[in-house]
Amino acid sequence: MPHLAVNDIHANYGKLAVLHGIDFKVDRGEVVSLVGPSGSGKSTVLRALVGLTPVTAGSVEVDGTSIDYAAPRAVKAARDRMAIVFQQYNLFQNMTVLRNVSLAPTKVKGRKRAEVEAEAMDLLKLVGMDHKAHAYPDELSGGQQQRVAIARALALKPEILLLDEVTSALDPELVNEVLDAIRRLASEGMTMLLVSHEMAFVREVSSKVVFMDAGKVVEAGPPAAIFDTPKSDRARDFFGKVLR
Amino acid sequence: MDYNFQFNVVWRNFDELLSGAWLTLQLGVFAFTCGCLIGLVGAACLSFAPRPIRWLVQAFVIFITNTPALIQIYFLYFGLPEFGIRWSNEACVLIGLTLNAGAYLTMILRAGFLSVRATEMEAGETMGMSLPQRIRYIVVPHIAKSIYPALANFFIVILVMGTSVGAVIGVDELTGQAINLSTVNYRWLEYFTVVALMYVVLTFIASIGLALLGRWAFRVKARIF
Repeated sequence: MPHLAVNDIHANYGKLAVLHGIDFKVDRGEVVSLVGPSGSGKSTVLRALVGLTPVTAGSVEVDGTSIDYAAPRAVKAARDRMAIVFQQYNLFQNMTVLRNVSLAPTKVKGRKRAEVEAEAMDLLKLVGMDHKAHAYPDELSGGQQQRVAIARALALKPEILLLDEVTSALDPELVNEVLDAIRRLASEGMTMLLVSHEMAFVREVSSKVVFMDAGKVVEAGPPAAIFDTPKSDRARDFFGKVLR
Repeated sequence: MDYNFQFNVVWRNFDELLSGAWLTLQLGVFAFTCGCLIGLVGAACLSFAPRPIRWLVQAFVIFITNTPALIQIYFLYFGLPEFGIRWSNEACVLIGLTLNAGAYLTMILRAGFLSVRATEMEAGETMGMSLPQRIRYIVVPHIAKSIYPALANFFIVILVMGTSVGAVIGVDELTGQAINLSTVNYRWLEYFTVVALMYVVLTFIASIGLALLGRWAFRVKARIF
């Protein structure tokens, strides 16, 4: 049974249809990447999975349990199992790094603050940010903020981590520190779904690549097949431009 | 000018002026604090509530901000008894000022709600935080920091301009005391000179207190002077 199964989901922004039936599966411990041109709906897939963009048709299953996005309870359940990291980090600006990471586990899950903070420090250590635990986000570089955002998502103990172009807003020299953190998670067996334009990285960490265009999956398969011998014209054209 | 200032009359009754200043401070702090709570609820409603509730809040704000505080307080003090509701003059000032402050603060705090980064709210939402939790942990700290100077200024407005309205219905706050005392011995000029200075000292102390509080609690990097 796949850890995450996305079956023919559709989504709209207002009247504009942005996803026209997306299908893919992610196995436990697997890293799957969504790639494709801007506006192809990659980020929308992630937003739909955490209930930020309404799913109008189709189904999503986690561990074989279907999630009904029309029901608030089910959306809450989905958010319990999946955590998202955003392109712009979206840290809470008026809280320290440590509080950013420990807020939701204490307030949403009602856990003890001391225990959560100890865990938060471990997570910050994992992403190499423990030395900045008491700094505020505006005192950090983009790469540092993004690593904190990853720790914050992990603090919720998600089964599946969704990463939405997490390096796109970063200076080139800060990209690697974030990619290293993701590599470490992958090696620890975290199931991840990632949207990225870092093709070399996608190729290295993913076991499967899903190529999307105009709200549809054009083709999917192992990275080598998708990058080196794409079957569709659209994918060939796209990779011809970005991999040169 | 051959006016002969006689401040010794004022010093003799200085205790009463001080008690007036104390009442002024109490009225100001109470009206501002309760006004903030009303304003917070009002601003939250304007930002998130369904349309009928938004209209209701908007009507409240328009009604209060477009009529003088004096008339509102007159209405409470002289109007309500006609309907069998009798409040003391102090209660009328307190309630009138609180409602007045609540309406203005609704609009001031609304600016704070509008300036919260939508993405932070989204992040909170995906982390499972409820709307009240997001308001409490994301919006309020943001407001406290970003519009703290506007809030502090408004507190001074209430403290000086708001509370002195109480004098007209016989509340013995600072202006009221000055009127009472000077009516006895006609030393208007002396009393009001001293009272004006007392207001300046009061607001001066309040401003420093607020600036320090802002720095300490909300990381507001405002200069004190």
